[in-house]
Amino acid sequence: MSDADKIKGRLLDSLQERAKELNCLYEVEEVLSNVNITLDDAFGGVIQAIPQGLQYPDSCQPRIEFEDTIYQPQNFAETRWVLSSSIVVQDKVVGSLKVYYTKELPASDVGPFLKEEAKLINTIADRLGHFVMYHRMKQLFHSLKKTGTEKDEENSQSWQVALNLLRQTDRNLFLNISHKMLNYLCWSGVEEAKRLQQYYNPDQRSEEDQVFADTNRPYQKRTLSFSSDFLSDETFKIAADHLSDNEIFTVIQKWIHEDRMSFLLETLNRNSSLAEVSEALRKYYRMSPGGVDLPTLSQRGARVSLVRRFFSDQLDYINIAKNHIEIVDFYLLMQNVIYGPESHGKLGGKAAGMFLAYQILKNAEVASGLLSNLKAPKTWYITSDVILYFMNYNNLQDVAEQKYKDINQVRIEYPHVIQSFKNAHFPPDIIQGLSVALDDFKDSPLIVRSSSLLEDRMGAAFSGKYKSLFLANQGPKEKRLEALTDAIAEVYASVFGPDPIEYRAERGLLDFHEEMGIMIQEVVGVKIGQYFMPAFAGVAFSRNEFRWSPRIKREDGLIRFVPGLGTRAVDRLSDDYPILVAPGQPGLRVNITCDEIIRYSPKKIDVIDLKDNSFETVEIKRFLKECGPLIPRVSQMISICDRDHIHQQVGPNIDFESDELVVAFEGLISRTPFVGQINTILKLLESKLNFPVDIEFASDGHDFYLLQCRPQSSADNAAAVPIPKDVSPERVIFSAKRFVSNGRVPDITHIVYVDPGHYGELPDRADLLAVGRAVSRLNQLLPKRQFILMGPGRWGSRGDIKLGVNVTYSDINNTAMLIEVARQKGNYLPDLSFGTHFFQDLVESHIRYLPLYPDDPGVIFNERFLKGSPSLLPEILPEFEYLSDTLRLMDIPRITNGMVLQVLMNADLDEAIGLLVPPKSVLDSGETKAAVSDSGTSEAWRWRMRMASYIASLIDPEKFGVKGFYVFGSTKNATAGPASDIDILIHFQGPDEKRCRLEYWLNGWSLCLDEMNYQRTGYRTGGLLDVHIITDDDIARKTSYAAKIGAITDAARALPIPNRKKNGD
Amino acid sequence: MNSKPFNPFAMAQAQFDRAADFLSLDAAMRDLLRFPMREYQFNIPVRMDDGTVKIFRGFRVQHNDARGPGKGGIRFHPHETIDTVRALSMWMTWKCSVVDIPLGGSKGGVVCDPHNLSMREQENLCRGWVRQLSKDIGPLIDVPAPDVMTSAQHMLWMLDEFETINRGHYPGLITGKPVGMGGSLGRTEATGYGVIFTLREALKELNIKVENTMASVQGFGNVAQYAIQLYQQIGGKVICVSCWDQTDQTSYTFRKMSGIDLQALLKITDRFGGIDKNQAKAMGYEILHGDAWIEQDVDILIPAALENQITADNVGRIAPRVKLIAEGANGPTTPDADQIIAQRKIFMIPDFLANAGGVTCSYFEQVQSNMNYFWEKDEVLGKLDLKMTSAFHSVSELARKRNIYMRDAAYFIAVNRVAQACRDRGWV
Repeated sequence: MSDADKIKGRLLDSLQERAKELNCLYEVEEVLSNVNITLDDAFGGVIQAIPQGLQYPDSCQPRIEFEDTIYQPQNFAETRWVLSSSIVVQDKVVGSLKVYYTKELPASDVGPFLKEEAKLINTIADRLGHFVMYHRMKQLFHSLKKTGTEKDEENSQSWQVALNLLRQTDRNLFLNISHKMLNYLCWSGVEEAKRLQQYYNPDQRSEEDQVFADTNRPYQKRTLSFSSDFLSDETFKIAADHLSDNEIFTVIQKWIHEDRMSFLLETLNRNSSLAEVSEALRKYYRMSPGGVDLPTLSQRGARVSLVRRFFSDQLDYINIAKNHIEIVDFYLLMQNVIYGPESHGKLGGKAAGMFLAYQILKNAEVASGLLSNLKAPKTWYITSDVILYFMNYNNLQDVAEQKYKDINQVRIEYPHVIQSFKNAHFPPDIIQGLSVALDDFKDSPLIVRSSSLLEDRMGAAFSGKYKSLFLANQGPKEKRLEALTDAIAEVYASVFGPDPIEYRAERGLLDFHEEMGIMIQEVVGVKIGQYFMPAFAGVAFSRNEFRWSPRIKREDGLIRFVPGLGTRAVDRLSDDYPILVAPGQPGLRVNITCDEIIRYSPKKIDVIDLKDNSFETVEIKRFLKECGPLIPRVSQMISICDRDHIHQQVGPNIDFESDELVVAFEGLISRTPFVGQINTILKLLESKLNFPVDIEFASDGHDFYLLQCRPQSSADNAAAVPIPKDVSPERVIFSAKRFVSNGRVPDITHIVYVDPGHYGELPDRADLLAVGRAVSRLNQLLPKRQFILMGPGRWGSRGDIKLGVNVTYSDINNTAMLIEVARQKGNYLPDLSFGTHFFQDLVESHIRYLPLYPDDPGVIFNERFLKGSPSLLPEILPEFEYLSDTLRLMDIPRITNGMVLQVLMNADLDEAIGLLVPPKSVLDSGETKAAVSDSGTSEAWRWRMRMASYIASLIDPEKFGVKGFYVFGSTKNATAGPASDIDILIHFQGPDEKRCRLEYWLNGWSLCLDEMNYQRTGYRTGGLLDVHIITDDDIARKTSYAAKIGAITDAARALPIPNRKKNGD
Repeated sequence: MNSKPFNPFAMAQAQFDRAADFLSLDAAMRDLLRFPMREYQFNIPVRMDDGTVKIFRGFRVQHNDARGPGKGGIRFHPHETIDTVRALSMWMTWKCSVVDIPLGGSKGGVVCDPHNLSMREQENLCRGWVRQLSKDIGPLIDVPAPDVMTSAQHMLWMLDEFETINRGHYPGLITGKPVGMGGSLGRTEATGYGVIFTLREALKELNIKVENTMASVQGFGNVAQYAIQLYQQIGGKVICVSCWDQTDQTSYTFRKMSGIDLQALLKITDRFGGIDKNQAKAMGYEILHGDAWIEQDVDILIPAALENQITADNVGRIAPRVKLIAEGANGPTTPDADQIIAQRKIFMIPDFLANAGGVTCSYFEQVQSNMNYFWEKDEVLGKLDLKMTSAFHSVSELARKRNIYMRDAAYFIAVNRVAQACRDRGWV
C-alpha cells in the first residue's frame, strides 16, 4: 500500500466516524423533535441512539440522570471508562449524560474516547437541556391554552396557575412579564402602579418624586434583586384589582409570545452567522412548533429580516415575501441548507423565486382542491458564499480576478478554470453536509442548479448563463458523492465562464459581488425500465407571445411541454416540437388536422439512463415500444392514429407494437384538471408577485411539481421594445396596432412584397402558383434572416390559393419575419392565418410573425415605398419578370442610401412599427468590435459570411486571375458553428503563377482568420478557409465542386468581387 | 393584364363547355349541366366556449344526381365561397361518372378556420350543419365525406346528429368513417392499387410485358407505397423514388438500379413518406437531387406526390424510353407540359382516372353501410380491380376510336354518361 493510499484509508476511516456521529445526532434530533413525546420516552430514545455514534457501539452504555430519575439500558454496570456532560436548564444543572465503555479499549484522545465523541456527548447534553426547557414551556403553554378556552370566571385561577408555573420554570420570563404588567398598568392610569413603578425604577420618576433624585445610592440595586418577587406579587395584586381576569390572561399570553420572538429578533439584528440564525430558529420552533398565532409587528420584523438574510435585499421581493413566508417555513428550510462556518451567504435568485412562489401557492385558497397535488421537489441548498469558502480552501482566490481580464483571455483560460475547480477539494464540513443530503436523497436522480445573486437581480435575463447538471446518482455512496461534488465544482466554475463575464461586462455588472448558491433538487419522475423521467415536464408563461389565433389573448398564457425531462421544452428545438397550449383557451389548438397533429408532435424524449448513469435523448417511437406499458397514465399521453382518425383508447389495451401512436397529451389536456391547474397557478402568481411569470414544472404522473418561478422577460430579442413616437413618417414602412407580440427584428436589408391588390387580380391559377415558386427562389437567394416577407391574407394557402401565396415552410424558412396584410375588400376584411400552416416551425426557428391591417385608423402602411421603390425582381429572377407588378423585391440600403429596416414590437402597447434606421455596424469599421458582441453558434455563420464578403471585396481579379468568388456549405447555409471552416469556391482562369499567388494570398487570410476565430471562440483549426479552385473546364463539365454553381439544391452563393479592368487573360 | 380574377367555377364551366362541344350537347342539356341542380346556403349559430354566439355560413351544392345520390366532401375553409363549392361539386359529378359508379356529384362547406375553434365548437358546428340539412341529405339523397380540414371525427359527429334526428341507424349517410364504425377495409390501399390496375391494363393495350418494365416514382406517401407494392407484385421493377426530406427542407431521389426494396425502405420511412437519407445511403441507394426521378431511363413514370410537378421546364428531361405516365397525384402535370407529352405520344393515364380508386372505395363503403354487412379486404380490392379495369377500357376505347388524348377521353366519357342519364330520365 502506498503512502497516498494509507492517507486515503485514514481519511476514509475518519470520514466514516464523522458520518456515524452525524447519524447519531440526527437520530437524537428525530427523537427530540417529536412534538408529543414524553420526557421518559425521549430519554429512553436518546439512550438507544447514542451507542451507534461511538467507535465501539457494542461496548457502549449511556446513562442519563435527570432530577430524581435515572435512565439506563438493562444490565447497566458502572465502569471507569466514562465520558460525562451536564444537562443544564436555565443555568441550573438538572442532570447529567454519561457514556461508559464496558471494557478497556485502546487509548485515544480522552481515555478510550475520540475528542469528536466528547464533543458529540456535549452536544447531545446541550440538546437535552433545550428539550427539557421546551417541554416545561410546552406544559405551561398547554395549561394556558386549556384555560383560555374555558369561561371567564375560571380564568382568574388559570392566569395565576400559569404565572406560578412560569415563576418556577422560567424566572427571567416571569420577571419580564411582571415588568411589562407594571408598565401596562401605568399606561392605563392606575395610580398604585405608578407609585410602585417609581419605587421599582427611580429613573422614571415623576416630578413630585424629586426627593429621590438626590438619593441615588446602591440601595436601588438591592431593591431590584431583593424585592423582585415582592414587586411581581404587588404588581399582579394591583392588576387583579383593576383589570378583568380575562384581560390579564390575554396580555400575559401575548407577552409570552413576544418574549419568544425577542431572541430571534436579537439574533437577526446582530448580523449573526447562519449557524446562529439556525440555532435561534430552532429554539423558536421548539417553543412553538405549531407556529405563532399572534400576528404582531415584531413577527413581521423577524420575517423581513429572515427574508433578507436568506433570499434577497430587493425591496420588491421583501415586500411580497414577508406576507407569504412564515417564520416556521424558514426553520424547515434551514434543515436543508448547507453552509460554511461563519457563513453570511444567501440562497440566490433561483431559490428565492422558487421558494416564494411555492409558499404563495401553498397558502392560497383555491376552490375545489385544484392545487391539492401541488408539490415542490425535495431540495437542498448550498449558500452563496460557500463558493468563496471553497476557493479559499483551495487557494483559488486568484480566479476571482478573472472577470477583469480581457474577454479573449477569459475564453482561453476557461477550460483551465473548469479543470482546476474539478480537481479542487471541498472543505470537510461541506462534504459532511453533502453526505447528509445524499442520505436524504437516497439514490434518486438529482439536478444541480445554479442559484446566483445576479440571477436574483437580473431576473430571467441572466438565466441560462450558468450551468445546470443532471446526475443519475446511482451506485455506491462514495461514487455518488464524488459525482455530486464534481457537478457542484463545474457549476461554480461557470461563474468564470466567458459568456456570463461578457454579459456582465456589457451591462456594467462586473463589480457586482457575484456569489453562487446551489440548489440540489431531486429530479421529479418515475423509473421506467432502465430509464428515469417525469411523465411530462415543461415551462409555462403567464403571457402568450406566440398567439396562433386572434381569439387568444396575451393574458391566456402559454404552456410548452414535452414527455420526459423538461430540457426539450425549455430550449427551442431545431428538429422537434413541444406541445403548445394556451391555458386560458385550452380548446384552441395549434394543430388541427391529423397531419398537423402528427407532424408537430414530439418525436424524441430526454431521460436519465440509470444503467449507464447518463443523460440521454431517445426516439419516442423506440421508447414506446420498449417501455410503453410501464409509463404511468400513458393513455393521457398518447393518441392513436387510424388513417385520418386520431382518437384516444378507452381501455388500457394499447398495442405499442403496431398501433400508430402520437404523443399529443390529448387526454391530459382535455380530460384532467392539468390545464386549469397551470392557469390558476399562473394567474395567482402573476397577481401576487405583480409581474408576468415564467414557471418550470414537472409531473411524475400523479403530483404536479413546481420547479422554478421567475419574472417572464424573454431573452433572444423577444422583450418588449419601446416604440419611438416622433419618427418622421417617410421613415416608417408600416405600423400595427393589433395582435402584436414582443420583439425586435433588426438589420433587414430586403423586403419581398406581394401586392395584395395585384395578387387578387391574377387571372390564372398558374400565375398564382408562380408567385409561390418565385418566393421560394428568393428565399434561397436572399441573405438568411435579413429579409422579410410581406403578402396578402394567408401565407401557405393550398387549394384556394387566392387567399394567400402557396408556399410551404421550406419556401420561406430563411426569412426573418412573416407579415400578413389584411386589406379591406368592400365591407369585408379577410381572415389572416396567423401563420397556422407552419406555426410551430416559425416558433422553433425564431421567425417572427406580424399581421398588418392597413385600413385601420391611425396606422401607417407606406404604399409609396412598397409599390413605388425600384424592384430587383426582374434583375434577379428574369424568368418571373411578368409578375413584377405583383411580386416586388426591394433592396433597402440601395433605395435608402444605406439604411436598413428595423421592426420594433411591443405587446404591452399592442403596437409595432417597421422603420428605416442607419445600420448598426458597417463592414470596414469596427469589425473586431462587432465580432466581440457576436457570440454563440447562431452568430458564427454571420461572422464567417461577413469575412468571406470582405475577402471577396479585396480580391484583385487581375492579379490573381479570379473570375468568380462563391461561398457554400455551412457558412452559406447559416449552420456554421464556432469550429466550422469557411467553404470557398473560386472560379479561376490563368497561368499557374497567378494560381500560386492566389493560393499564397488566401493562405495568409486563412491563418489570419483562424487566429481571429480563436480569439473569438477558443477554437483553433489551423486554417479557417477551405478553398476549392475550379476552372472554366470544370464548370463546362460540371465536375466536382463546379456543380455547386447554379445547382438546384444547396447552390453556392456568389459574392461580389471588384470589377476587372479588362476582359480575359 | 387581364383584370378578371381567377374563378374556379368559371374554369370548371369552360372545361365542361369543351366536352359539350365534343359531344354536341344541345342547349338545354348544357344549361342543365353548367349549373348545379340545387344549392343550399344557410346560417349555423354556434354557442362559443366564452358564452357568445357566432353565426357561421354553411353550403351544400348538389350539382347532379341523375346517376345516383350525390357524393362529395365537406370543407372547413376560412374563405369558402359558393363558386368554389359549385366547381368542386361539378368535378365530383364527373369523377363518379368516369369510374361508372352510381353516384352523383355534390360538395359542401362551412366558412370557418378550425384553427380558431375548439373541438367542442367544431362539434357544434358539425351538428348544426346536419340540423340545417337533415331533410336534404341521406344515404339515398346525398352522401357527405371528409375533405379539407375535416376528419373522421367530424363525420362521426355528423352521423350521430343525423341518426338522432331520424331515430335510426344510417351509416350510409356518410363515408370516411373509421373501420368498426361503418368504415370499409381496403381504403388505405385503394388509391395506390387503383393506379396500378389501370397501369396494368394500359401495358396490356400497349403490348408490353409488365415484367420487362422499369418505373420511376415521385413521392413515397401512401399512394406511392401501395402502387409500388402492387407493381412489383405483378412483376415490374421500380428503380427510384423521390421524397421530401424534412430535415434538409428539400427533396431527394433514391435510386437503386437493381430495383428498390420496398419493405426495407418502409422501415426507414416516416409517416409523411420521408426516407431517412443516411440509412438509405448505408443500404446502397444513390442519393440524387429531388428532380432526378423525371430524367431516369425507364418505361414508366408515376408522379404520386404533389400537383404541378411535370412542368414546361422539366418535361424535356423525360427520357426517350418513357412510354407511359400514370398520374397518381392530383394534377401533377401542368397544361403546357401536358401538350408536349401528348405530342411525344407518351401514353397518359390521367389523374382523373388513375387515382379514382379512392372514390370507388368510398362508394363501396356506402354500399356496405347501406346493407350493414362488411366485406373482407380481399373482396373490396377484388371489386376495385373490376371497377378500375372496366373504367380504363371504356376510356381507352374512346381515345383509340376517336383518336383523342386520354385526358380528354376520360372527361368526355364522364360527361357523356351523366348527360345520358339525364336524357333517359326524360329531363331534357
